[in-house]
Amino acid sequence: MTEYILDGLKAFAVVMFGMNVGVILTWVDRRQGAMMQDRVGPERAGVYLPKRMAQGALLGPAIGTAAIVFYLAWAGRDLEGAAYTGRAMLFSQLAILFTWLTFLVIAGRIRRRGVKNPFDAFIATLGDPRRFFYAGFGAHLACFFVAGLFRGTPLAPTLKQIGYGGGAGLLAGAIVLGGAYAAYRIRHERVRLRLAGLLHPAADGLKTLLKEDFIPPNSDRLLHSIAPFISFFPALVVLAVVPFGDTLCFGTENGELQLTQLLETVPREGVCTAGAVNLQVIDLNVGVLYFFAMAGTGIVGAALAGWASDNKYSLFGGVRAASQMVSYEVTLGLTIIGAVMIYGTLQVDDMVRWQAENAWGIFVQPFAFFLFFAAAVAESKRIPFDLPEGESELVAGYFTEYAGMKFAMFFFSEYIAVVSASALMTALFLGGWSVPFLDRDGFHVVLGDNVIWEVALSHGSVIVLGVLAFVLKVFFLCWLQITIRWTLPRFRYDQLMQLGWRKLLPASLINILATGLVILLVQGGSAQLVSGLRTAGQVTDLVTVVLIIAAVGSLFALFLKPASHRQGLAATSAQFASLRGGTRSARMTP
Amino acid sequence: MEPLDRDLDDAELELPADPTMTLNVGPAHPAMHGTVRCMMELSGENIVKADVQVGYLHRGFEKMCERGTWNQVFPYVDRCNYVSPMLNNVGFAMAVEKMLGIETTERCQWYRMALGELARISDHLTCTGAMAMELGAFTPFLWMIKGREMVWDIMEEESGARLTHSFGRVGGMAKPPTEGFAEQARAAVTQILTIIDEVENLLLTNRIFIDRLQGVGFISAEDAVSLGWTGPCLRASGVPYDVRKAHPYLKYGDVDFDVPVGEHGDCWDRFMVRLDEIRQSARIIDQSLDQLPDDGPINVEDPRVVLPEKEDVYNSIEGTIQHFKIVMEGIKVPAGEVYAYTEAGNGELGFYLVSDGSGTPYRVRIRPPCFLVTSGLERIITGQMIADVVPCFGSLNMIGGECDR
Repeated sequence: MTEYILDGLKAFAVVMFGMNVGVILTWVDRRQGAMMQDRVGPERAGVYLPKRMAQGALLGPAIGTAAIVFYLAWAGRDLEGAAYTGRAMLFSQLAILFTWLTFLVIAGRIRRRGVKNPFDAFIATLGDPRRFFYAGFGAHLACFFVAGLFRGTPLAPTLKQIGYGGGAGLLAGAIVLGGAYAAYRIRHERVRLRLAGLLHPAADGLKTLLKEDFIPPNSDRLLHSIAPFISFFPALVVLAVVPFGDTLCFGTENGELQLTQLLETVPREGVCTAGAVNLQVIDLNVGVLYFFAMAGTGIVGAALAGWASDNKYSLFGGVRAASQMVSYEVTLGLTIIGAVMIYGTLQVDDMVRWQAENAWGIFVQPFAFFLFFAAAVAESKRIPFDLPEGESELVAGYFTEYAGMKFAMFFFSEYIAVVSASALMTALFLGGWSVPFLDRDGFHVVLGDNVIWEVALSHGSVIVLGVLAFVLKVFFLCWLQITIRWTLPRFRYDQLMQLGWRKLLPASLINILATGLVILLVQGGSAQLVSGLRTAGQVTDLVTVVLIIAAVGSLFALFLKPASHRQGLAATSAQFASLRGGTRSARMTP
Repeated sequence: MEPLDRDLDDAELELPADPTMTLNVGPAHPAMHGTVRCMMELSGENIVKADVQVGYLHRGFEKMCERGTWNQVFPYVDRCNYVSPMLNNVGFAMAVEKMLGIETTERCQWYRMALGELARISDHLTCTGAMAMELGAFTPFLWMIKGREMVWDIMEEESGARLTHSFGRVGGMAKPPTEGFAEQARAAVTQILTIIDEVENLLLTNRIFIDRLQGVGFISAEDAVSLGWTGPCLRASGVPYDVRKAHPYLKYGDVDFDVPVGEHGDCWDRFMVRLDEIRQSARIIDQSLDQLPDDGPINVEDPRVVLPEKEDVYNSIEGTIQHFKIVMEGIKVPAGEVYAYTEAGNGELGFYLVSDGSGTPYRVRIRPPCFLVTSGLERIITGQMIADVVPCFGSLNMIGGECDR
């Protein structure tokens, strides 16, 4: 019984993940396109909340979170040794993080909206909001530094207590302060909730429900109506085989799973047998093949839509969709063979496990990753492979004759296909839920046989880190696809076919050959070679860590850069003049 | 021409099993700019035969010109090439001035050149940007439209209207340049050149973009000349004919600029010629702004042609009568006929004017560069693939208003 409930929950979570990320992607796609083109994207949809409700929505969760923090601190006050130290460190760091973040946001608000009271005036005297970040960053480092400096000294227990109690108190205080301040700043009787414009795609989606469902008079009504569903469904169910986290281990009683008893720690090697819960809707032994089967079904939807619409443009789009997706399916399948040869399994879960133990697929099969990426973009029918839509020559391609929710389903299935392809690429090539140097019992930074840094983590936090890593990787790949969509023009039909059959297909065959040769060489290699490969695997983890740190660093550098004045579109000559430093009557300074 | 009222019931199959499929593209089709219809016979994706039909935007402008005074023609020529109306304004004004035998002032000539080249920049920005957009690269299009917006800001500042300025007058312009014109124009041109650099970075090294344009829509120099092509499309085929160089008007003889010429006459060359011409226009604008006198009359000193100052109209009987005569009867252009031509955004824009000596044009015949260029569309898309229609048609820069008038 428990298993069924769990399966239902997992399926629900995955479907929600796919659909919601699809909605977010719609928004991101339009906003990012807008950013690249120096314009404001669609972000105006909003919901009006009464003042009291908005204040409650801000204060309630804040007070609740603060209470949870106090409860956790109180519950863990008797902990001993490393666990207590770890929790003290966690509380202090989180407290510092929340404090500077809260003040940063408040200072930014004050700078934009103006000083309203003595507290605002005090914050404003502190100057540039960036100073809060610098101070907070310094405090983070100082916290680590103090912990390292006083380790083992008689002062250590006192410091730990200060860090534990003070950290928890400060954390709760910062959360309540942030919530209270936000609630206090609400002035109007109605608050417009925009969620950074995220409601816009949702509103657009809802709107399509109310639109006329137009069916061309001479079309095949049944096929015309079925096609969007055939297109929508496979894109979503593909996610079923993708694991989004490591196996959870629960305690058991009489062979029954006890969902309340999550194991505190698990051994580094191996996976628990009893009480295991895979974070994957279904662990199929054919895994990857299921993906191809489902992705192949998606073609039928597009082809049917093209055929059933009784429109020559639709027919063109449908034929193009069918031939394109069949062609790229071949590449898609063949590129994966190299990876399958190395991982030695078709089960996606085992593939991720292999990558977690050895090295990420992108390092083992770099060539295949790029081929797979290109083919996957082609499968989702997005620019530069959006020939089936070909909006400038085929009007809208295979869904020319669709309106309302049926059109929205085609539109949406494209985004969900992006999510599911990204999820699969993450699992196959970017190590799925695996985090560099994170084993099932904590971090172990090991190079060769030298242990550089180790820290033990509880089972639950390892799993949470894994799930977070998976989601972030999926987001990264989605972002990459959206950037490509706004940068590239589209192919012509013959160029597309040439790319598929004459370039990508031979390349994937060569990849299989090369992979086979390397596997043969390694199998016949000495023990030295094997240990060398192990070190190489650890080096790839190190490279990943360095790359992530560099990326995060450059992102911070970007955000901390002083905001330049917008040299954007001047919609009127008055705006143009003011951009140039003048008005219509006064001379402009160069 | 394909009969419009083809009876569908007569056909046994809706999609005949012939080797070719007839596809009606346009006039309401995104690739056809809303104004051209193209019947294509397709074999798979290949165009076996194409029948391009223009005229869907015909509004009878030439006839309408005959019912007003000479100055009332300006709003009509504005709406011919609505992407660069200032060039049409200047072209028509110069044609009437040729008939009248008057020479505009130096300040007016430099002003007309600067404005005209800004309009040319806006024309080319729109054309190249739309071409990239139709191929799926949306970002460069919006960047270029941003640049065009800057040009229109200047036009609005100068004339009060963003798109249809009606700013030309026989014998001069409606208003002298505003005080900040030179500065604003220089600032805008600098920013536009930056935009062009950015667009080139994004597009010219892009394999897909190159493949879509190179070797597509080829036309030889002989064919282009025999079809009567002019402008960037002709120069892309390797014929260095530019009215501004061949028959200099205004002050084009005094400024330093080059005529970019293509080699192969394919879409790529047409795209590149337009981009290069934006740079050359920037050079001309720079020199014109240097030479533009700060003061001096903008209109000729000829009471028969130019409206008097408002002060004179209200305060003196001569002014009132002069104003009345010009507004009510129109400029008395001597009887005769003239053909005057300038280089517009798409090529040689000619005006063949006939006057019977009254205040109204007897005949205004506009030679639109687009009409002749569009006549070559059929030739360049036959044998290409259906997707190639998009860059081919885009690179010809057919402006419906000018083509159909």
